[in-house]
Amino acid sequence: MKTASEAGPAGSASSAVTIEAVNVSRWYGNVVAVNDVSFSLGPGITGLLGPNGAGKSTILHMAAGFLRPSKGTVQIDSMPAWRNHEMYANVGFVPEKEAVYPFLTGYQFVLLSAKLFGLSDPAGASRRAIQAVDMEAAQDRRLGGYSKGMKQRLKVAAAIVHDPRILLLDEPFNGTDPAQRLQMTALLHRMADEGRTIVFSSHILDEVEHLARNVLVIVAGRLVASGDFRAIRRLMTDRPHTFTVQSSNNRRLAVALVADESVFGVELGNEHLTVRTSQFADFARAAPRIAKAEGITLQELLPTDESLESVFSYLVKR
Amino acid sequence: MNTTVFTLTLRQFAGQRRSLLMFGLVLIPVGLAIIYRLGEHADQHEETANFLADIIVTAILPLACLILGTSALGSEIEDGTAVYVLAKPVPRRDIIAAKFAASALIAASFVVPATVVSGLIGLQGVSEEGIVIGFAIATLIGVLAYTAVFILLSVATSRALLFGLGYVFIWEGLITELFSGTRYLSIRQYSLGIADLIATVSKQDFEANLDRPEAFILAAVVAAGALFLAVRRLESFELTDTD
Repeated sequence: MKTASEAGPAGSASSAVTIEAVNVSRWYGNVVAVNDVSFSLGPGITGLLGPNGAGKSTILHMAAGFLRPSKGTVQIDSMPAWRNHEMYANVGFVPEKEAVYPFLTGYQFVLLSAKLFGLSDPAGASRRAIQAVDMEAAQDRRLGGYSKGMKQRLKVAAAIVHDPRILLLDEPFNGTDPAQRLQMTALLHRMADEGRTIVFSSHILDEVEHLARNVLVIVAGRLVASGDFRAIRRLMTDRPHTFTVQSSNNRRLAVALVADESVFGVELGNEHLTVRTSQFADFARAAPRIAKAEGITLQELLPTDESLESVFSYLVKR
Repeated sequence: MNTTVFTLTLRQFAGQRRSLLMFGLVLIPVGLAIIYRLGEHADQHEETANFLADIIVTAILPLACLILGTSALGSEIEDGTAVYVLAKPVPRRDIIAAKFAASALIAASFVVPATVVSGLIGLQGVSEEGIVIGFAIATLIGVLAYTAVFILLSVATSRALLFGLGYVFIWEGLITELFSGTRYLSIRQYSLGIADLIATVSKQDFEANLDRPEAFILAAVVAAGALFLAVRRLESFELTDTD
């Protein structure tokens, strides 16, 4: 497993651990959905990433107390998540299913949640939560007439109405349009900045990349990597790193770079060089030095395969 | 009991086609009682008591409780909305208590008046002999026991309706009639026993298989046991639609 513990809370043994899974497995009959997964999460946003059927929702549901681990433990704030309804005082959970109570208005739905959380001012808390997801205009309409994206936002409002320290979201961007995604992303970033632990599952790489640097990558029920995905990429020494280099004289720079030990491939394009190296950090340090020695102005030096997509692609193919 | 869950459950029933079904269901015995009154009668006490036993206690009571009890929590579990109630710091016993209270209240508000009205129509012109009050209390106790059992089924299996129908028509309708010992595991027999205990009508007119105070005790034990198990089951509720 690739672990980039220095990069953030995912995978680290942070002092502010709020969610901890230890050797967790879950099976259904002979089918193993999650296999011996361990991680510790603290404040910040963590994306639970994996192909469909990888076990993301199973892990999220175990963390939310809605699935019993067949083996191992999942703890929330050092207490078992399973059969512990009291933990919901600090936890908000947004399920993937679209179903809501169609006969309730948006406001009544959030108010229901606020009352069940036992808040002292449920009406005020509901108004604030609805405002946070920008749904005031539709709050008096029945949920039965809401679009999928609107339901998603109301579900988030109902989950954050009690100001939880931990928020678990299962595929939260399903059905949302780009504007709604931006709004939701901003909300989750704001909540993370306030010190909350936010974990969301997704199979859409763009969503995860925009929202979280820290990821737990699940493939076929196993945790194959955790931490900052860029750091995970750098740990993959068996895979060449690719840089795009632009300079005042690409041809001459290409010749100089090839001579460096960290470089094992240079491709000369129309406007830039594509350089392949086995040593990310060494090359990043060497390139400016080499350019300077040749009297070439280095205009751009960009790692190009550090996107979550490339990291994910490498991990899935392993 | 959690009043928010109680109110939510009442609203769920009000907005469902099940409430229309309930209206239709309870109109059946009243209609039949009216038709019965239009004919000639040798013994109104015997015929009315047996009408209430055969139509209300045997069919209408369990069916009404089955419709309401299995959907009180079962429909939320089925469509996934149960999570909005369960992902809250609310003790599971409070949720079950609220679901039970709401569904039993609605079932009783349909079945008990239907029993009283049907009984009064059937006994018009003769003394009541405790038949109406006996069956009214019997159906009320029956509502509590059946609803508790069907709520348990709804949290224990996704095929609660099927198992419920099996219990009512195969166990109670067939097996209990064939093997007398099984009457101790039949809510229908408890209800009939309670009606018999309260009614002052002669044994020739109406006699239950379980006409002793045990009927009360057994109904209470079954209801309490079912609710206890339902709470335990709900405490271990799992979301199964995961990848």
